[in-house]
Amino acid sequence: MSMNANAVPRRAFLADLGLGFTGLALGAVMQREARATGGVGWRPPDGLPHFAPKARSVIWLFMNGGVSHMESFDPKPMLTKYAGKTIAETPFASAQDPKKLAIERLVVPDANGNQRNTLYPLQVGFRRYGQCGLEVSDWFPHIGAQADKLAVVRSMWTTDSNHGAQTQFHSGRHQNDGDFPTLGAWVHYGLGTLNENLPQFISLGFREYWNKRDGHYLGPAHDAVPLRIDPTNPLDFGRSEGPMTPSEQGTGLDLVRRLNGLRGVEYPQDSAMAARIASYELAYRMQTSIPGIVDFSRESESTKSLYGIDRAESRDFGMQLLAARRFVERGVRFIQIQHGGGGAGAWDAHSGLKANHEKLALSVDRPVAGLLSDLEQRGLLEETLVVFATEFGRTPGSQGSDGRDHHIFGFTVWMAGGGLKRGVVHGTTDEIGFHAVEDRHYVTDIHATILRQLGLDSRRLEVPGRKRLDIDHGRAIEEIVG
Amino acid sequence: VAGFGAAFGAIMAFAASAPAVTATATSSVSSPPTGTGWDGDYARDLKPLFQERCYACHGALKQKAGLRLDTVEAMKRGGDSGPALVPGRPDKSPVLGRASATESKDRMPPEHEGSPLSVVQVEQVRRWIAAGAPSPVDERPESDPREHWAFRPRQRPGVPKVAAAGWVRNPIDAFVARDHEMAGVQPEPEADRLIQVRRLYLDLLGLPPTRAEAEEFERDGTGRAYERTVERLLNDPRHGERWARHWMDIWRYSDPWGLGDQHRNSQPHLWHWRDWIVESLNTDRPYDEMIRQMLAADELYPTDPERLRATGFLVRNYFLFNRNQWLDETVEHVGKGLLGLTLNCTKCHDHKYDPIAQVDYYRMRAFFEPYQARVDIVPGEADLAKNGLPRAYDRTLDPPTYRFVRGQETVPDKAKLIAPGVPALLGFAEPEIRPVKLPAESWQPERRPWVYEAYREAAHSALTRAQEKLAQLRHRSPSVPPLELAVAQAAVAVVERESAGVERRFDALRAEWSGAAREVLEERRLTAVQADREVAGARAALAVAEAELRVSRAEPAKREAVDKELAAARKTLADAESKRSAPIADTETFVRPVGTRWTATRFLDSTKDDPVVDPPSESTGRRTALASWIVDPRNPLTARVAANHLWARHFGVPLVPNVFDFGRKNPAPIHAELLDWLASELVDSGWSLKHLHRLIVNSAVYRLGSSGRNAEGSLAKDPDNLHWWRRPAVRIEAQVVRDSILAHAGRLDPAMGGPPVPPGAQSSSRRRSLYFQHSNNDRNAFLAAFDDATVKECYRREQSVVPQQALALMNDAMVHEAAGWIAERLARGLAGAGTGSGASATSANGGLGEDAFVREAFVSLLGFRPGETELAAAREAMVAWSREKRELVGTGESRDSVRRHLVWALLNHNDFVTLR
Repeated sequence: MSMNANAVPRRAFLADLGLGFTGLALGAVMQREARATGGVGWRPPDGLPHFAPKARSVIWLFMNGGVSHMESFDPKPMLTKYAGKTIAETPFASAQDPKKLAIERLVVPDANGNQRNTLYPLQVGFRRYGQCGLEVSDWFPHIGAQADKLAVVRSMWTTDSNHGAQTQFHSGRHQNDGDFPTLGAWVHYGLGTLNENLPQFISLGFREYWNKRDGHYLGPAHDAVPLRIDPTNPLDFGRSEGPMTPSEQGTGLDLVRRLNGLRGVEYPQDSAMAARIASYELAYRMQTSIPGIVDFSRESESTKSLYGIDRAESRDFGMQLLAARRFVERGVRFIQIQHGGGGAGAWDAHSGLKANHEKLALSVDRPVAGLLSDLEQRGLLEETLVVFATEFGRTPGSQGSDGRDHHIFGFTVWMAGGGLKRGVVHGTTDEIGFHAVEDRHYVTDIHATILRQLGLDSRRLEVPGRKRLDIDHGRAIEEIVG
Repeated sequence: VAGFGAAFGAIMAFAASAPAVTATATSSVSSPPTGTGWDGDYARDLKPLFQERCYACHGALKQKAGLRLDTVEAMKRGGDSGPALVPGRPDKSPVLGRASATESKDRMPPEHEGSPLSVVQVEQVRRWIAAGAPSPVDERPESDPREHWAFRPRQRPGVPKVAAAGWVRNPIDAFVARDHEMAGVQPEPEADRLIQVRRLYLDLLGLPPTRAEAEEFERDGTGRAYERTVERLLNDPRHGERWARHWMDIWRYSDPWGLGDQHRNSQPHLWHWRDWIVESLNTDRPYDEMIRQMLAADELYPTDPERLRATGFLVRNYFLFNRNQWLDETVEHVGKGLLGLTLNCTKCHDHKYDPIAQVDYYRMRAFFEPYQARVDIVPGEADLAKNGLPRAYDRTLDPPTYRFVRGQETVPDKAKLIAPGVPALLGFAEPEIRPVKLPAESWQPERRPWVYEAYREAAHSALTRAQEKLAQLRHRSPSVPPLELAVAQAAVAVVERESAGVERRFDALRAEWSGAAREVLEERRLTAVQADREVAGARAALAVAEAELRVSRAEPAKREAVDKELAAARKTLADAESKRSAPIADTETFVRPVGTRWTATRFLDSTKDDPVVDPPSESTGRRTALASWIVDPRNPLTARVAANHLWARHFGVPLVPNVFDFGRKNPAPIHAELLDWLASELVDSGWSLKHLHRLIVNSAVYRLGSSGRNAEGSLAKDPDNLHWWRRPAVRIEAQVVRDSILAHAGRLDPAMGGPPVPPGAQSSSRRRSLYFQHSNNDRNAFLAAFDDATVKECYRREQSVVPQQALALMNDAMVHEAAGWIAERLARGLAGAGTGSGASATSANGGLGEDAFVREAFVSLLGFRPGETELAAAREAMVAWSREKRELVGTGESRDSVRRHLVWALLNHNDFVTLR
């Protein structure tokens, strides 16, 4: 039994004891983690950006299932012109050159994720919006009206032709590679806290199909905290149901933290201890912070209407987005909102695409546009990066009589705010929306762009023993950075 | 298949022009490697590519076209169409030509079998060939899949002789110690006694030791207390409850769920299966027998309701709307749960890693094709909505099984009927299928004596209730309107006739069962039909009486409607009256009492139930054959998979990391020999799970400490503890968290078994958590916060750490209530002990006198003694609480609340939810 070996951390813990429960007192634990995982010379992130940040928070909107890029933000009239023809019969036959299809990494060959040869006409009209003249389909008129705020990337590609692409969009890795931290986890890991009363990484909405964890090798402390936007019950066990005043609870939790810290010295290899201590710090403060955020009673009717909360079809998503704005106002780093539950995601229109997308667009169009204009009028858009993404696009060809299949070779993501250029379109797909042809971007380029705006260099976040590949880091899309 | 030769010319042309194509294509795909030379490494850059894209068909699993590509030598040797690789000659190397072919019919891998090589990859292969296809001299071909560690016959390994003989308590330790020696790690010292006793209780019972139990264990530091405790706990009925929950995870226990009142998944009253699991573990029913009963008790023990409960394993997969989904889940989880095989990967295509063909999936499915679900009447309850025994049975004897082309249920290959069978890989024996003649009581369960009893009892108690109601009304008359009395009277008449009807119907049935003479049968039939008519008449009379009462009470506006109802009821009565004396036709039958009800399906895509089919008098015997094959001692997988499950749950970490996939994707575990030894012990002990539990928990490795302190050497060599030099700390499961709190409070309800506690009653329930209603729709929020099992698949529990867990323990009413009870119990214990410290513990207000209470609370709740710093921290908090209480409520009764707060704090301590 060597007391000396424990002397330093014990002193560190004892020093922490003076800080009280409301101070984030994890220094010693972090240091111990550092020794356990990183070896000499390595330190975990100090929570400071690596260079001057342009953005502070991210609102990450993810449409589960795969939105048709041609019928949203990358309209392709050639589909209508050549409708019913096989791709081979059109001037665009080279799209199906096997060499161009080789990026695909199949997981399981199944009935979906296949080549669809017969072009399917656009199911909706489109028009130009704003000074920038961005073409947007008629299903998204309100977002269209915000065109001059958007930076649209029309040249995305990915490699998983099935819905594992959802996880891939967040982690940058194909599912066959295993589990890797998601973008939100990296941001959480890299940047620490702006507001100690709220989780810094929040997940709202449906997350059934894709991987339910975020931290993976960064640890469970970097998983998103799932919340419900239900003013009557936002958080399970959110209020004390016992005979304890808040002050008594505070005294008790202070004791719990001190005792956990002391026990941590005895079990220096127990990495769950740091996560446990952090989870209590946060839980304590979430009790008061969360109910206030989902209490919309002080929001004006016009604000609620702006988010579509007064309409049945957009109410749920509108409430999530209004909550997101309120989270951003209070300094939450990363709010990840998944839209469209059920199966592999509601947008997965293998059949009946028109009815499917029409209905789903109604549920998101107003809220998203409302969020953008609300952030703008409150002066928050410059420091808040809004992302509108989906795992892949949909095939130019038809699946069955009225659907489109998964399509990984070209699709669209847009971002807004956070110091990005406004009213720009970057990258193109070919004339039938098949391949991204100009300025192609893999999904991690979106990650790199966001990290850049947040002032982070993903290479400096690397954890010893966890070598990341170049493609994991991606390249920031400099052309859309303001 | 055209083969290599046929398309050769075209390929040659393409291969020759490949560089040019590359140059134009890459501009839009990705940047090409520059130059023309080869500076790569075959083993690093190309072999993994070939492995991923080619080996499934041209390696050890299969050798399509007589070709293997798993070594460069094999490529040169080639197959039916000659060499696949000619070093230095890309133009003469089909391995390049086929991989880069433009026509999909020529290209390898074929469509649906794998992605084509990218342009960059093709270019790499070309340069490598051009450079003479350099490769390591010692390149080895893929090993024979049959040589995969988990597919090889299991043999009992010899127990190694090790230097650390003093450390070894049983053979488990000898295997571990040998590995310690090889890895150069030092085992951590044994955990202290308090931690050991907490481990044993939480592990074996899912509940903490009482103070007395822990003290007794601690006192006997050198004797046989450990082993004695193990024996006692293994024989404690709560052991079955604890370990049942583990097996319920693996076997996907779920109460029924659906939409509204419609059950769509699983079966009503499935808790009978849960109780069977608990009882089986407590009586140490052999594991092989458990599997046999779960898969085929209806064939093996067709008249034994106790054992029939086991088939809950099968009927849990019931899905109202789709038979394919039902059987897919059955095949998938028999594969993963019992055999450690991902059979589900072969639904659409041959397995990419394991020697299992797509057709094997459908052969496995064919074992289950005949079975469906029904609910039998159980003693004492004739109403199947209230209770009943859900169980499997073969509903049809020769339903066809077809392979679905690429797994699509809309494209069955009807040209070929698929017979039940097992993958050839595991063909130590082909299951022998012998049809089973069922006893009449099985397929005509109304013959079971308790069915008649249940009907009679139901009729009898209905009669008693109706008579009581009538008597009450009479007692209250004359205040009761005569029409209300008439209704009650008519109701009595109905149940009287019904009661008689039960007797007459069973008289008629018994005559049939006993093979009575025709005239007797006829007489009984007539009597029973007449009894039915009497019931109908009485019901019609009751309906008239009720309608008359409604008419008398109707508001004028509704009068017309109720008058119509009365007229209709009178017409029905008149019809019944006239039918009563009409002659009985030869074809007229009585209402036959049933002893079972088929759980209707809606596979036919109509909006109503599929047609009812009477249970056949035979069963196919398919599932019996499959079960025998699964538990055949020669089956290499079953015992290994079970032993790994046991280890995983004793230690929190398994020996084989992927507990449901023992296939080739998973290399031999470090402790493969230990696993085989454990599996052999399981089989050779007559599949006694308790034998394995005993071995594991008595081992030295189980008793190790978990701190990792002062172990720099071992830490440096094995930071992930792959060699078991210390115990991993485990976040205890959801059920153990809640049950422990109630147990510490002395409020845990010891009742065993029975229907699940419905969601609305759970917050006030004191039952053990395994009795909570739990399905895909019904999740208890407290348990869910601690990673409760998901019913769709839970081969291992997560051990997350999230703020929701903190909130649950901080705020839940049950925790607060329990904290008060625990504080009282601890104080009583101290007072009872009558020690000096106990006496001082009664001194007021958080001073030094409370130290004894604090110590007691630490030891009891957390399993360790507080140090001076911890005591000081507790003291400080207690003083603060005490001060605040006095301010709030004045002096006096603050001590109890301060102690309650301290207990609450310790319930929120990390170590309360951690097994050290």
